Amino acid sequence: MTLWRLEWLRLWRTYRLLALVVVFLLFGFAGPLIAAYLADLLESAAAADGFQVVVPDPVPADGIAQYVSNAGQIGLLVLVVVAAMALATDAHPGQAAFYRTRVPSAARRLLPRVVATTAAAVAAWTLGTVAAVYETWLLIGPLDLGAVVGGWALWIAYLAFAVAAVALAGAVVRSVAAAAGLGLGFMLLMPLLGLVPALDGRLPSALVAAPEELARGTSQLGDYAIPVAVTVAVIVALLAAAVRLGDRREL
Amino acid sequence: MTAVLRTSGLVRRYDSGTGEPTGVLGVDLEVPRGVVYGLVGPNGAGKTTLLSLVSALRRPDAGTVELSVDRRRVAVVTDVPEFEPWLTAAEVVALAAHLVGADDSPAAVAGALDEVGLGDTGSRRVGGFSRGMSQRLALAAAFAGDPELLVMDEPSSALDPAGRAAVLDLVLAWGRRATVVLSSHVLSDVQRVADVVGVIHRGTLRYQGPLAELLARHVRPQWTLHVRGSAEALAAALRTEPWVEQVETGDGVVHVRGTDLEAGEAGLVRVAAATRARVVSLVPEEADLESAFLALTWGPG
Repeated sequence: MTLWRLEWLRLWRTYRLLALVVVFLLFGFAGPLIAAYLADLLESAAAADGFQVVVPDPVPADGIAQYVSNAGQIGLLVLVVVAAMALATDAHPGQAAFYRTRVPSAARRLLPRVVATTAAAVAAWTLGTVAAVYETWLLIGPLDLGAVVGGWALWIAYLAFAVAAVALAGAVVRSVAAAAGLGLGFMLLMPLLGLVPALDGRLPSALVAAPEELARGTSQLGDYAIPVAVTVAVIVALLAAAVRLGDRREL
Repeated sequence: MTAVLRTSGLVRRYDSGTGEPTGVLGVDLEVPRGVVYGLVGPNGAGKTTLLSLVSALRRPDAGTVELSVDRRRVAVVTDVPEFEPWLTAAEVVALAAHLVGADDSPAAVAGALDEVGLGDTGSRRVGGFSRGMSQRLALAAAFAGDPELLVMDEPSSALDPAGRAAVLDLVLAWGRRATVVLSSHVLSDVQRVADVVGVIHRGTLRYQGPLAELLARHVRPQWTLHVRGSAEALAAALRTEPWVEQVETGDGVVHVRGTDLEAGEAGLVRVAAATRARVVSLVPEEADLESAFLALTWGPG
């Protein structure tokens, strides 16, 4: 029984992997559906009240945009909670002592948890994206697959950033709830920092809208080189800080 | 005898809020190889802090911890063991063994579970285990690593009498294979299993050495004599002896508390013979750790 297998069992037996997949799949199917029929729904609702609402016909990018919008809120929230449950490593002192006395290195203890949680998030995000692309093709029309793959890949970096933020939170505070809250705080800090003109469009938060922008053709993959580089650097910094704090923190 | 574990000038202070320093205040612990070392002291004496410093779960403010064994061969059992509730007992033991590089084969895991009496629960998830079962599982996880030093913090404090007896039997059994350090505020438990004791009180070590020596040095020897006929003459003669501290009589029974074991053992027979007392039996009262502990820790400071 390795720490890697332990993390797989944690995801599988606690239904956390299932929860992530279900949430992202649900939005993957629901997003394009809402995009396709939103105009009809609004027009019929307005007509019942005696108004006339003109909504442009949906385009394929609307399907992805709707999916990313939902996944970027509730999907990320679920991910943060799932990550906090794995990465608040000192939430249970008895368990923490079991691992710390056998694996003194915080890096060795954290790595499987971070990688497994990120992998689960990527799997869920991938399945949701496939569902969204299929449903969009079915209901609205075909998407530029190259743009979709680019947006998918950029979001993976953002998901890894979210997990790394929770890893640091778990090294700062002890309870699962506090780790989830602080992790969300780290993530919300990015759009706030993005208000500084010099940082606008250069932070991890710039990747959230990438799948939609690429699908609409309003940006190119190369436009995200700086935010991707910054995100990778932030992930490394967050994980390094988490390991350092994990090594220093006493039980 | 070489020491497996030695601390020198170990200090870890906590602010108790009363202005009085608490924690571990300069402890020189020395645990010889192959013994069961009982660390005794009341709640708040510093036992858990000391063991967590030894286990590297906390860092000292000053002083050092020296181990003469590889850290991977040190197993720690906390007072409240916790495991991932969705793992089976066998998986917990296999994980524990794997993490320290020990044999985690199914046979080795089954052997460790058998040893603690959990052989038939290997496939059960540990989330439903009782406190006693969790404690035994913690021991199985520790044993699976084949440790040279087993550190146990209050291993029996929250268990029912049967659970305590079972855990202490396991400690005794393991004490024949490795060095064991266990802390407890239940003195009778320590007296049952320990060869060497350390008495900690208010963060300092008041005594460290063989249990028998502690009892001999700090417990007043006591005897009970059953006599036929009047015991008054015998009692009166005993009260004049310099090694006698107290004599109580009642219905053919004389209780004697002395100040010196050897003088008492020789003197009792001599005085009984001199007074022609008809002694039916002479029974030394067993010294207990509690009496020694109270003698060591009574009073301020």
